[in-house]
Amino acid sequence: MTQTENIQELDIPKLVGASFKADNLPIQTGAMSAVQAPPTKVHDILKVILDADKKSALTTISCLDLGENLGVYYHMRLTKGYFTIKTEVPKTDPKTQTITDLLPGASFAELEGTDLLGVTYEGNLLSGHFMLSENWPIGVYPLRKDVNMAEVKLVPSPPQEETDDPNVYKLTIGPQHPALIEPEKLSVTVEGEIVTNVEPRLGYVHRGIEKATESRTYLRDIYLVERVCGICNPSHARVFVAAVEKILGVDVPPRAKYIRTVALELNRLHSHLLTLGHACLEMGFDTLFQYLWRDREPIMDLIELTTGNRVYGSLMAIGGVRRDLNPDHIPKIKATLETLRSKLPGYRDTYQNDKSLRLRMQGVGVLSRDDARILCCVGPVARGSGLEIDVRKDEPYEAYGEIPFKEIVYKEGDAWARMNVRMDEVGESISMIEYALDHLPTGPIKVTVPRIVPAGESTAAIEAPRGELFYYVKSNGTQNPDRVKVRTPTYANLPSFLKTAIGQNYADCPVNFVSLDPCFSCTDR
Amino acid sequence: MTRHSFSTKIAKEAFSNLFKKRATEKYPAVPANVAEGFRGKQVLNLSNCISCGLCARECPSNAIEMVVVDGKKRPLIHLDRCVFCYQCADTCPRKVFETSKVFELAVTDKSTLVIKPESVSPAQVAPPAPAASSTQ
Repeated sequence: MTQTENIQELDIPKLVGASFKADNLPIQTGAMSAVQAPPTKVHDILKVILDADKKSALTTISCLDLGENLGVYYHMRLTKGYFTIKTEVPKTDPKTQTITDLLPGASFAELEGTDLLGVTYEGNLLSGHFMLSENWPIGVYPLRKDVNMAEVKLVPSPPQEETDDPNVYKLTIGPQHPALIEPEKLSVTVEGEIVTNVEPRLGYVHRGIEKATESRTYLRDIYLVERVCGICNPSHARVFVAAVEKILGVDVPPRAKYIRTVALELNRLHSHLLTLGHACLEMGFDTLFQYLWRDREPIMDLIELTTGNRVYGSLMAIGGVRRDLNPDHIPKIKATLETLRSKLPGYRDTYQNDKSLRLRMQGVGVLSRDDARILCCVGPVARGSGLEIDVRKDEPYEAYGEIPFKEIVYKEGDAWARMNVRMDEVGESISMIEYALDHLPTGPIKVTVPRIVPAGESTAAIEAPRGELFYYVKSNGTQNPDRVKVRTPTYANLPSFLKTAIGQNYADCPVNFVSLDPCFSCTDR
Repeated sequence: MTRHSFSTKIAKEAFSNLFKKRATEKYPAVPANVAEGFRGKQVLNLSNCISCGLCARECPSNAIEMVVVDGKKRPLIHLDRCVFCYQCADTCPRKVFETSKVFELAVTDKSTLVIKPESVSPAQVAPPAPAASSTQ
């Protein structure tokens, strides 16, 4: 216990400053806590932080075009808050060292930077494309500012690699597959029934949203980033506006905070019920699938009632919310939630104890606590492995600091634990919405903000239904942002599948995969 | 925790559903129940319009085009591009845009998917106004 208390008191910027006193590294505070370091030092700083803070991990690596140089920003999640290690590499020779020896989960973040901005990580090299389509020319990096998109000429796709080894048998899941709602390809190598290797191919629904935000105003960007993902759209909108509010130094009125919390928790309810149902569908338990989705429908109606639309609520605005909660609707919201609550014990009992569900999920895709940390897992996947990370508790935003709720953690680390984290969170979310509605403050719902955002940068994170959703926003003092980096929860959780699937039955792949609650629309952006 | 059994709760739920009202709705035979404040097809109060063009400038999906009607600039909404966020209503200084519960917008010809300012121009809106006053 004393050890965890010590960790909470740990001042990482101070620690980094003290450990590298001789180098005299400039420490930045304010909207974003950061240290500026040469590329050779990043690995050492990272190691110091990982050793000092036992819950810390990499959130993502933001690469950005700074003119002469390319910025490579390593965003670290700490026990409390976030810390960024900034480094710069020359555009002519953008090379740096990989950190995948410390954190294997950083691999995807590095490869994305290689594909979109051309930063090469020695030790983690990319052949072909990672995020972009096969017919995109090699050596053209779309997120660099000097690329003229109109002049990019697409090239013919290279032929698919065929393996000649008769002992290697490859099965392909996707891009179109009944178990996946969205397009993504997993090449699974099998020996008999046992999986020996998994290679993912991302980017089938890459829409270039990060690039598109740079040519739109902040106001338009809210609606654009909301469309990164259909299911968790209020989370994307809220985390973007929160990052911009941090740069502006704007405080949101208390009533707006509560309304945002209600919207976010309603969203979590519908997302969790969706995925719990979808998992049942994968396991062939169609009855429970139908019941869960039937009970999700009244929640969708509540979202329509509170925001004006079933899916895209468009509720968030910089400085508050766009629509007030009508007091006449509160009894209806409460009654609907009460109906759902009365049904939960039956569903929970089934999920926990039903023989066929247990046989399908228990011991499938076991992820240990240490692996969950070094693979940088987030959300229910990390909590299902006993790793207590929840942005709502660690870094309370909106009204979460004032609302009592329990952090759901399971120790088993298998698909069963991950699904039961979500099942228990449904009950917590209902209580949280009821508490928020009972304690709704009065007052304004929005403050007026200037159209032009001053130069600056900030990070914001939120516990989306699938886990920690992270945005990095850089403003250059104009109407449009300079860089918006989106790190979605599924992107962080995918590396864990590549590990847990190996050694398992091929037939368990879909259940293991669905237990991550994957969302590729998010992943590919 | 170690109890392994087929859940009886699901069987009970399934049985009780035999006597309950169906969960699905008989749409389209029965019109869908749309929530109050739903953001559906726009209704334009063009008599309020001051031709400022802010709605067109702020529209996130460039769905609004300013066209000249009777020598004045008026908004024309391309519903095929519209995402129904109603930023136009937030931006408008004169409350020209109002929500409606109309959501059935499927057409076979995409070019008809526009709200033209002509169809609700002040000249055409004018007749109902005296009718409303006559009922007083």
